[in-house]
Amino acid sequence: MKKIFTVFAGAAVILGGCQALNNYPPPVTPNMARAGTHSAGSMEKLEHGRTLFAGRCIECHVLPAIAQYPAEKWPRIVDWMGERASLKPAEREAIVAYVLAAHAGTQTSPGK
Amino acid sequence: MFGGVRHFTFIYEAPTSAPGSVELENWFTWRRVDNEDTDTLVFRHEIEYGVTDRFQASLYFADWVYESTADDSGTVFEDVALELIYNFTNPVLDPVGLSVYQEYKGGYRLFEWESKVILQKNIGRWILAYNATVEAVWEGEDLAETEGEIIQSLGASYEITPRFSVGLEMVHEIVLPEWNDDEDIRNFFVGPNVSYRRGHWFVTSSFLTQATDTSGEPDFQWRTIFGIGF
Repeated sequence: MKKIFTVFAGAAVILGGCQALNNYPPPVTPNMARAGTHSAGSMEKLEHGRTLFAGRCIECHVLPAIAQYPAEKWPRIVDWMGERASLKPAEREAIVAYVLAAHAGTQTSPGK
Repeated sequence: MFGGVRHFTFIYEAPTSAPGSVELENWFTWRRVDNEDTDTLVFRHEIEYGVTDRFQASLYFADWVYESTADDSGTVFEDVALELIYNFTNPVLDPVGLSVYQEYKGGYRLFEWESKVILQKNIGRWILAYNATVEAVWEGEDLAETEGEIIQSLGASYEITPRFSVGLEMVHEIVLPEWNDDEDIRNFFVGPNVSYRRGHWFVTSSFLTQATDTSGEPDFQWRTIFGIGF
């Protein structure tokens, strides 16, 4: 039992470090809230959007990388998926706000 | 509204259903024991409901079995059950997704209690899941016969497209008749799975063969789950 625990603790540390491989949604920053996307909102709204994005989408499929689709496609994708993911309108709006803010970050990050 | 897709059939995943979602899940498992010339088909019909963001409840409203042996065959209604899953952490945002599972099952001269710890990690297109399960069964007259089982299962699923995944499942069982390990019963099953989803439904199927050589235990188990959201 101790061996199993050790293996899993080790795996958790390694996997926790695999953010780049993980389609890891970037954490919300003050810059994101100031990004000026059409529906960008408060830090709280963006945090809520990030939690919903990472929580609801993976009920059916793996999380897509935010840069995988152009920014203009994301509102339609979220709207299309929203019904089967049981998302309320305010939740869809929070996800779109977060994804667009994060998408803007992927375009302006150093080295991009 | 859809509750979510199962990428495995013998392994549970950490995310719980969206709050307010309702899903009907039906599954069958075909088990074949060659040396006893026995085929068993187990059917389950289950309603799953997302209670909160982190908590889901399911009712197995009918578990029934068709069994065919060399001498006889027949169908019997077995039990109903309540399944509860609570999620603590997310398999993408946190180092490991963690949920706990509790099930209570009751039937004619049968009571079963099952607890699980569910771990999951999503890495890119991969979903890795691990379950540690303890199962206790009381059955027979006055529920005097007891059996325990300690089960560990591990699976990996790779998403080829957002609608289609393939993977592998492994199940290791330690069977404890009368909570006693004298008979040293160990079973290990391994095999592939496929999963397809579209709109408000999904179908997932696994075919596991026994890699050990335990007499009286299934040589293979084929399980298919069909889920549809309302």
